[in-house]
Amino acid sequence: MQTITLHHLLPAVFAGRTDLQSELWEQDLVLERGRLYLVEAQSGKGKSSFCSYLMGYRQDYSGQICFDSTDARQLSVREWSRLRTHSISTLFQELRLFPELTALENVLIKNQLTRHKTVAQICQWFEAMGIGDRIDTLVSRMSFGQQQRVAMIRALVQPMDFLLLDEPVSHLDDENAAAMAETMMQEVRSQGAAVVVTSIGKHMKLPYNQTIRL
Amino acid sequence: MILICKLLRRHVSVLQLAGFLLANLLGMLIVLLSIQFYQDVRPLFGQEDGIIKPDYMIVNKQVGALDALGLGNSTFTDAEIQDLRQQPFCKRADGFVSSQYKVSCSLGFEGGMSMGTALFFESVPSEYVDVSREEWRFDAGNPVIPIILPRNYLSVYNFGFASSQSLPKITESMAGMIDLNVRMSAGARSQTMRARVVGFSSRINTILVPESFMKWSNALLAPDVHPQPSRLIVEVGNPADDAIVTYLENHHYELEQDTLDSGRITYFLKVLTALVVGVGLLISALSFYILMLSIYLLVQKNTEKLRNLLLLGYTPWQVGAPYQCLAVGANALVLALAVGLVWLVRHHYMEMLWNMFPQMEEVSMWPTFFVGLALFLLVALVDVVAVHRKVMAIWYRKE
Repeated sequence: MQTITLHHLLPAVFAGRTDLQSELWEQDLVLERGRLYLVEAQSGKGKSSFCSYLMGYRQDYSGQICFDSTDARQLSVREWSRLRTHSISTLFQELRLFPELTALENVLIKNQLTRHKTVAQICQWFEAMGIGDRIDTLVSRMSFGQQQRVAMIRALVQPMDFLLLDEPVSHLDDENAAAMAETMMQEVRSQGAAVVVTSIGKHMKLPYNQTIRL
Repeated sequence: MILICKLLRRHVSVLQLAGFLLANLLGMLIVLLSIQFYQDVRPLFGQEDGIIKPDYMIVNKQVGALDALGLGNSTFTDAEIQDLRQQPFCKRADGFVSSQYKVSCSLGFEGGMSMGTALFFESVPSEYVDVSREEWRFDAGNPVIPIILPRNYLSVYNFGFASSQSLPKITESMAGMIDLNVRMSAGARSQTMRARVVGFSSRINTILVPESFMKWSNALLAPDVHPQPSRLIVEVGNPADDAIVTYLENHHYELEQDTLDSGRITYFLKVLTALVVGVGLLISALSFYILMLSIYLLVQKNTEKLRNLLLLGYTPWQVGAPYQCLAVGANALVLALAVGLVWLVRHHYMEMLWNMFPQMEEVSMWPTFFVGLALFLLVALVDVVAVHRKVMAIWYRKE
């Protein structure tokens, strides 16, 4: 997939509002493969909704989302599943990890589906992000910051054209955030993917090509 | 898949699963055992001899003093047959057609000894005879007459004639291999043909030949004679119907042998089996309901996990597979246990039955197994579809 095109996209909850001043809602916008985007907004402006729409998790919007030339509303269940394993990867704001599995198992459960990385490569990423010693720890016993890094590794173990990061460093200090960004960018560059980062203030330090204010 | 199973097996209630297994095993056992028992004991009622179908009765008129003097009429008129056909209990009624010529039959043994006897032939429409079409047909171009003999003829030969004359005893299958020479004559016309025994019946006391042969031979040897039948073969819907007895008494007809009594017993056996199977099915249905409820509950408790797996890219079929495997596996286990238990229980009651009825033949367990398999496949299909629908509800955020 080369582009994601948004045509007059607007969440259903914002319908009828006349005071919207957004560079994304109700605009025509094209997100291109290989570029870095920062979506900035205050709480309640619809950042997570935007990610949910791109993941096919929600469809309560007006307007149109096109993956290349295909309307997202026309995708079948099977096509969405394929998209989620081969084109668009996400780090969810609420992480969506499985507390009863260890950190490594949380990553492997995705990697078993995509068979994209070896266990050794995954372990290297754990080391690079400073949680190598927590690899066999249950996720429920890790801090939120550590869980964010596990969720990031899980987001990287798949082929992708776009990587959506919904507030990825909200609970990380600058040093760990930088380590995470470096590891992520190595993988993103090797795949030529685009990155779309949302942020309510503190954001991942990257050479963004475009900042979009919601 | 291992990780998914590890993830989704949380909240599996061993108690609920055990409850389902026990209840379903009980239901399945009742269904399969009653079907197997019915099949095992049905031949004991003398109704099934594999030749004449079970719901048929043979009716004749009572023989009175006038008949003995040759003045009575024991044949059925067309009006009487028509009247019987119009009775609500009657599905079908036809007359026996008898040969209108003399028949003599002989067979030779190795060593030159031969024996012969005068005979007669009768026929009924082929629909009443449960012998394969291939065997029960007559071809005038290649004439061999298929014959069904009363089973007691064989007993008379084996235990009366053969033992007194030091001749070998004949089994039913051996009898089919003996060539009989049949000579038929009426006036100046005569015809000699070969005949072959294709079966023995304990329900019909006559020498039965195919209807097509009877028509052909009567037309050839006695074309001018058109006698009325003296016996009727009647198919009834319910042999236990009181209206049958009342009708027969009112018209001074009588039944050959105890066909009505054994028909009634078979009918009651069928009703009883149907009742027991019904109870078994009900228990199975309830246990299936328990299983579906507990799986629904399980899916409900794991909704968030299932949703997360779907968002990671797992397809609804992949996500539902552990629950589908659990349900299908549990049902397969029940089927295996039920078939095993039926075999065990049957082993015991058959020993008792064989002690009481040594002539009893063993019936295959395959039909019972196939009924169990069909039930299992039906339930498995419903399980798989129900779980998938539940997962799809999560996909569409209806859960």
